[in-house]
Amino acid sequence: MGPGSLAGKDRGRDAALRRWRDLSGTLALLLVLGWILGRMGFFDPGRLTGGLANFGRFAAELFPPDISVLPVVLSALVETVEMAFAGTLLGFIVSFPLGVLGTRTLFPRPVVLAVRLLVAIVRTVPSLLWALIMVIVVGLGPLAGTLALALYTVGYLAKLYAEILEGIDPEILEAVRGLGARRHHIVRFVFWPEAANTILSQLLFMLEYNIRSSTVLGLVGAGGIGFYMQVYISTLAYGRLATVLLAVLAVVLIMDALSAWVRRRYLLQT
Amino acid sequence: MTAGDYTPQDQFSQGPAVEVRDLWLAYRPGQWVLKGVNLTVPRGELWVVMGPSGAGKTTLMKVLAGLLPFQRGTVEVMGFRLRGEPPRLFRRAVGYIPQQLGLVRGLTALENVLLGTLAQHGGWGLTFGFFPREEVARARDYLGMLGLGDKAGVRVFNLSGGERQRVAIARTLMQDPQLILADEFVSDLDLPRAARILETIRGLVRERGLTLLMNLHEIQLVQELADRVVVIKGGQVVYRGPAQALDWSEFRALVEAEDDGARVAGG
Repeated sequence: MGPGSLAGKDRGRDAALRRWRDLSGTLALLLVLGWILGRMGFFDPGRLTGGLANFGRFAAELFPPDISVLPVVLSALVETVEMAFAGTLLGFIVSFPLGVLGTRTLFPRPVVLAVRLLVAIVRTVPSLLWALIMVIVVGLGPLAGTLALALYTVGYLAKLYAEILEGIDPEILEAVRGLGARRHHIVRFVFWPEAANTILSQLLFMLEYNIRSSTVLGLVGAGGIGFYMQVYISTLAYGRLATVLLAVLAVVLIMDALSAWVRRRYLLQT
Repeated sequence: MTAGDYTPQDQFSQGPAVEVRDLWLAYRPGQWVLKGVNLTVPRGELWVVMGPSGAGKTTLMKVLAGLLPFQRGTVEVMGFRLRGEPPRLFRRAVGYIPQQLGLVRGLTALENVLLGTLAQHGGWGLTFGFFPREEVARARDYLGMLGLGDKAGVRVFNLSGGERQRVAIARTLMQDPQLILADEFVSDLDLPRAARILETIRGLVRERGLTLLMNLHEIQLVQELADRVVVIKGGQVVYRGPAQALDWSEFRALVEAEDDGARVAGG
């Protein structure tokens, strides 16, 4: 028996093993999902249908929307968008250098581990909690919200960027290193040109995400439209709440369309 | 390791371009890829390294380019004794073209060629994209000389395989090196095109009195191109001699017989 046929047999067995593993893995995952949902009462018919009825009553009370509050809502909405925009950019400015420092192909292990740990800690705290902390630090208002979004952005983008940069073909790095490039040259002449599209695409995604999440930061007094959501919910002014929700929906749709346009126009040329 | 480990004193002397003695290298402990390689390449000659895939040819090239640490032996390249990260003077003296060329795809041909000056102009000015005007002119000259004058502003991902090869050559020439190490950099081209590229680089090397050491497996091209051939197999040099004297059927037997050495990763 030649070496070729032996390898072929090995490969066949590997494929069978892999298929079996995939199948059992999927099955195990579904079982875990079912168990969790069951414990929560998902399979309890009375709870779910009763819940639906509650939801229907709430939805009915949202109409008709009370548009008399529109001017107030719109100015709060502008503040929300400003917070999202400034917070995302601020976060990006910190994220890119942190991402570079967290790249194993460029920096020694201790530096990379320290940066990744820091970023993981930042990422652990949800944005609403960051908002609460920032309200304590800088007081009520949009500055707290902006800083909270910036921190949240750093937690995600810095990790994503480190991974994107590590994915760059090591042979390019090696070749440019062989030309006598220093680290800042590699960042400027390899990292940026090779990864700019992905980096900016992730930045846009983060902006969209922050626009959505910035709407709730007002719940803890960190500025923006969330404050009015909170007020209208607690005073049971559902008609006014409906105005807020519709206005938010409009902004999210506009932002999604805008970023889709930017992507099409500038980021899909490779 | 510090730059103090280097002895660049005979950089301008006429010692050999490459002097390797008993070089041992393993990527993982105990799994030797290079097992006591000895190799002396005189200046001004054109040598080709051949051998089955996995023999350690690429690994040897990376060691000579100062990109890979090794465990045992001594390596001197253009008068520099290699140990750890080599100094910038070494980077100017030695040009390295990897197998996939290592061009930055998002930069233009001209920008890639200008990267060849990084060892000369280490400052922060370059970081903001300001290359000295005379260097830009020199880069354009090289591109023109290699028939790429009209492609200077085109990004590498829009260039064809042969055009990329020529950009890589221009980038190496920008370094003004004394030694060029090329790792099978024509392996993706068809034979006539590969022959043309090699003809170009041979002309340049001869004209400037440079030393060229390259991995190449197209037997048809080796004989007319090389001064000497070195065959590596299983991490050791098994043949060394004039290309013309090589008996090809014997050579094929030497290279193509499979053994354990051929399965070592990192070829």
